[in-house]
Amino acid sequence: MTLDWLDAFLITGLFEVVMVIGLALLLHLQLGLARIANFGVVGFWGIGMYVFGVLYVQVDWPFGEPWQFLACAAAATVVAGLAGLLVGWLVADLDTDGVLVGTLGFATAVQILATTQDDLTGGARGMGGLGFPYDIGRVKDNEFLWLVLVTAVVGAILLYVWRVHRSPYGRLLIAVGSNEPLARSLGKPTFRTKLWLFAVASAAMGFLGAMYGVMVRFLDVGNLGVGVTLAAMVGLVLGGTARVWGAVVGVVLTVGLFDIVIQSYLPLPREWYTQAIPVLREAAFGLTLMVVLLFRPLGLLGDMRRDRLMGKIHGR
Amino acid sequence: MVADVVRAAAGPRIHVRGAVKSFSGRVVVNVEDLVLGDRPIEGLIGPNGAGKTTLMRMIMHSTSLDRGRVSLLPPGGGEVVLSSLPAHRMARHGVVKSNQVIMDFDKLTIWDSLLLAVAESRYEQPQRILSERTVFARHEAEIRRHLDFFGFGDPSAFAMSAGEKKLLDIVRCLLLKPTFLLLDEPTAGLPDDLTEKVMTVVRELAATGTTVVIVEHDLNVIWNLCDEVHFMAEGSVILRGDPQSIREHRTVVEKYLGEGHV
Amino acid sequence: MEFVTQSLVIGLTENAPLILAAIGFALLYRLTGLINVAYSETITLGAYFGMWINTTYGLDFYAVLIPTGLLAGVLSVATYLALFRPAKQRHVGGLEMIIISFGLSIFLRHGLQFVFGYPERFYDVPPPDTIMVLGVGVTSFRLLALVAVAALSLLLYLFIQRSGYGLRIRALASDEALAQVSGIRPLVVTVMIWFIAGVAGGLAGAFYGVGASVSPLLGWRQFLLILMVALVGGSWGLGGVILVGVGTSVALAAMALQLEQVLYAQLVLIVAFVIVLKIRGSRRAETAKV
Repeated sequence: MTLDWLDAFLITGLFEVVMVIGLALLLHLQLGLARIANFGVVGFWGIGMYVFGVLYVQVDWPFGEPWQFLACAAAATVVAGLAGLLVGWLVADLDTDGVLVGTLGFATAVQILATTQDDLTGGARGMGGLGFPYDIGRVKDNEFLWLVLVTAVVGAILLYVWRVHRSPYGRLLIAVGSNEPLARSLGKPTFRTKLWLFAVASAAMGFLGAMYGVMVRFLDVGNLGVGVTLAAMVGLVLGGTARVWGAVVGVVLTVGLFDIVIQSYLPLPREWYTQAIPVLREAAFGLTLMVVLLFRPLGLLGDMRRDRLMGKIHGR
Repeated sequence: MVADVVRAAAGPRIHVRGAVKSFSGRVVVNVEDLVLGDRPIEGLIGPNGAGKTTLMRMIMHSTSLDRGRVSLLPPGGGEVVLSSLPAHRMARHGVVKSNQVIMDFDKLTIWDSLLLAVAESRYEQPQRILSERTVFARHEAEIRRHLDFFGFGDPSAFAMSAGEKKLLDIVRCLLLKPTFLLLDEPTAGLPDDLTEKVMTVVRELAATGTTVVIVEHDLNVIWNLCDEVHFMAEGSVILRGDPQSIREHRTVVEKYLGEGHV
Repeated sequence: MEFVTQSLVIGLTENAPLILAAIGFALLYRLTGLINVAYSETITLGAYFGMWINTTYGLDFYAVLIPTGLLAGVLSVATYLALFRPAKQRHVGGLEMIIISFGLSIFLRHGLQFVFGYPERFYDVPPPDTIMVLGVGVTSFRLLALVAVAALSLLLYLFIQRSGYGLRIRALASDEALAQVSGIRPLVVTVMIWFIAGVAGGLAGAFYGVGASVSPLLGWRQFLLILMVALVGGSWGLGGVILVGVGTSVALAAMALQLEQVLYAQLVLIVAFVIVLKIRGSRRAETAKV
C-alpha cells in the first residue's frame, strides 16, 4: 500500500477530526438528548489518557503487545467510567449551574492531579514512552493503521448513538431532558438514568483518550485545558445538538476546516501554523458558538424529527 | 350497602395523617386525618385555593410535606409509606396522577409518549438499544385500543391541541395500570363527547378494582360519577358524604355552589 | 497562633481580588439569573486596561484604577447589549445562554492572546511599600485591594439597600413584568447591574495584574473559584458571598502554608464546594431561582 498522498499532518488532522466526532457524539447523548451540559469532557477524556499512559509506562507488564495495550486501555475505560459515575452522582440532581460547577471542577481536578503527581505523570514536563501496540513498518504506516482503528471505534459509537435514537433508552433520555418531573411521575428513575448516562459516556470518552495517548505517544498536561471540550461542543452545536449526524457534520466543518484544510492545503507562511492559527482556531470556535446559538440554536440540521422517525418505524 | 362493604376491602386506600404544607408562611394544606378510597370513586371538591391540587401533589410526593405522613393501604393488608418514597416509585405501587395543568414532552410524539409510559425499565437500559421492537410488539394492541377509543389522529405526530395533550396525559396514566388513580380536573377543556368517554373509562377502571379520586370543577361529572364526595376548604376536608347529602349541605351551597345551583 | 494570623493576613490581602470578583459575578447571577462565563474575561481585560493606561500614560497605579473600572464597566455593558440582550429577546434557553457566554469567553480570551501573544506582561510601577500587619509583611497594593473590597461592598450594600435604584433593582429581580408595570425601566436598571459587575471585575483584574503579571488566561484561571464562591455564598445574599469569599481566601492561604503544592489547596476547595452544592441540591426540591 502506498501512502504517499498522506503526509503526517494529514494523518494527525484526520485523527483529530475522527476523535472529536466521537467525543461530540457522546456529548450529544448528554447535551442533545438529556439536556445536561457537560463542560468537563476533557476531564473524562484526559483521565482515560493519563490512566492509560501511566499504567503503560510505569508498570512492568508480564505480557507483551497487544495485551499490554488492551489491559491498560481497559483499565483507563473503567476508571473513566467510575469517574463518570462519581460526577454523575454529584450533579444529577443539580440544575445547570450546579452541573457547570461539577463538570468544570472535575476537569480542573484532573488537570491539577496530572500536574502535581509528576513522579507518575511527568507533570508539566510531560511523559514519553507510549507506543503503538503493533509495528508494521514505518511510523507513517503505524499511524495510518491507528487512524483506521480509531475510525472503526468512532463508527461503532455512531452506530450506538443511531440505535439509541431508535430505542426505549433514547426515548427515556429525551423525556428526562424535556420534562424531568413528568418522567418521574411516570415511574422513571431519572436520577439513576443520568447516573448511568454519565458512566457510559465517560467510559467511552476515556477510551478515546487512551487511543489519543497512543497516537501522540506523549502525555502533555497542556492537552488538559478547555480545548477538547470546546472542539466537541462547537462541532455538536454547529451541526445540531439534537441530531445524530449533527456531531459529524459540525466537527467536519469546524475541526476539519482548521486541522485539515487550513493545516494541509492553504499556502500560508510556516510560522503562522505554530503561532497564529491555533489561537485563531479557538477564537473562531468561540465566535461560532455565539453566532449559531443566537441565530440558529438547533444548528445546521435543525431539531430532531421524532414524528418522521416514529412514522417510519411504527407507522400510523 | 353490602356491596360497599365488600368493595371497601377490595380497593387500595390512601391514608393521610397530620399532613401540613405551607408556602412562604401561608398554610395551604392541613389535613388531620383523611382516608381516600373507602368507596370506588371519590370526588374532591372545594373553592379555588382550597388546597386540592397541593394535597394531590403531596400524595404523589412531587411536593414535599412539612410534616405528617401519607401511606398506601393495599387491599391485601400492610402499609406503604408513600411520603418517604421518591416520586418515581409511586407508579410502581400503582399510585398514578394526571395533571391539572397541561404537561407534555415537547420533543416526543404520541407514539413516543405512550411507549414511554408502558416501557418496562429493563428495556430502558443503556445496553438494550435493540429492544424497541420487543416493547412495541408487547404493547401495540393495548395502545391502539386507547388511541381508537379516544379517537386520536396520527400517533406518529405530536399532540397539538390542549385537549389532545390533556387526553394524552390521561392515557399515559391508564397505561401505567394504576390501582389508585388520582385525576386532577381530567375533563377541563375537553368537549362533551370526550368528557363522556373519560367518565366511561373511570367507571370501567373502578369496576375492575381500581380506586379513583377525582378533583373536578365540573360538578356534573362529580354528581354523575362519585360514590362519595369530600369537600375541602382552607386546606382541610371539612365535609364528606354521598353526593346527595353534600349537595344539600348549607356550607357547600354557600361556599362553592352559589344559590343558583339548588 | 502565628499560623492563624499568617493565614488570615496573607489570605485576605492576597485573595481580596477574588472576593471583589465574586461580588460582581454574584450580583449579575442573582439579579439577572445568568451564569456569565465571560466574566473571567472582564477580569482579564481589566488587568490589560490597567496595564495599558499605566504603561502608555505613565499614570501611577492608584490613578489607573478609576479609568480601568469605568472601561471594564463599559465593556461589560457592551457585551450585554451586543450579545446577551439579543439572546434573551430571542428566548434562548438557560442552558444555551451558558454556552453562549462560554463562547464569548473563549472568543475574547483567544482574541487577547492573538493581540498580545503568550508572554506575561507587567505593570510598570515602583516596588510597593511593605507594611507590617500582625507581624506579616504586606505590600501596599494588596492592602489597597482589601480596602477596595471593603469599600465596594459597603457601597453596594448601601446602594442596594438604601437608594432608589437599589429598590428598582430588587423589584426587577423579583418580578420583571411587575417591575415594568410599576414604572421601572428594566433596560436602565439591567445596564446598571452589568456596569457595576463590570467595574468590580475590572478592578479585581487590575489588582490581580499588579500583584503578579498579566496574561490572557488571568481571569480564566480564577473563574472556577469565583463561580463556586458566588454560587455557594450567593444564596445568602451579598453578605454570604463576602463571608464565603473570605473563608475561601483564608483557607487557600492556610493550605498553601501547609501543603507542599498550592494546587492541592484548589483541589480541596473544588471537592468541598461540589459537596456543599450536592448536599444543598438534594435538599432543595422546589425553591425557584430569584
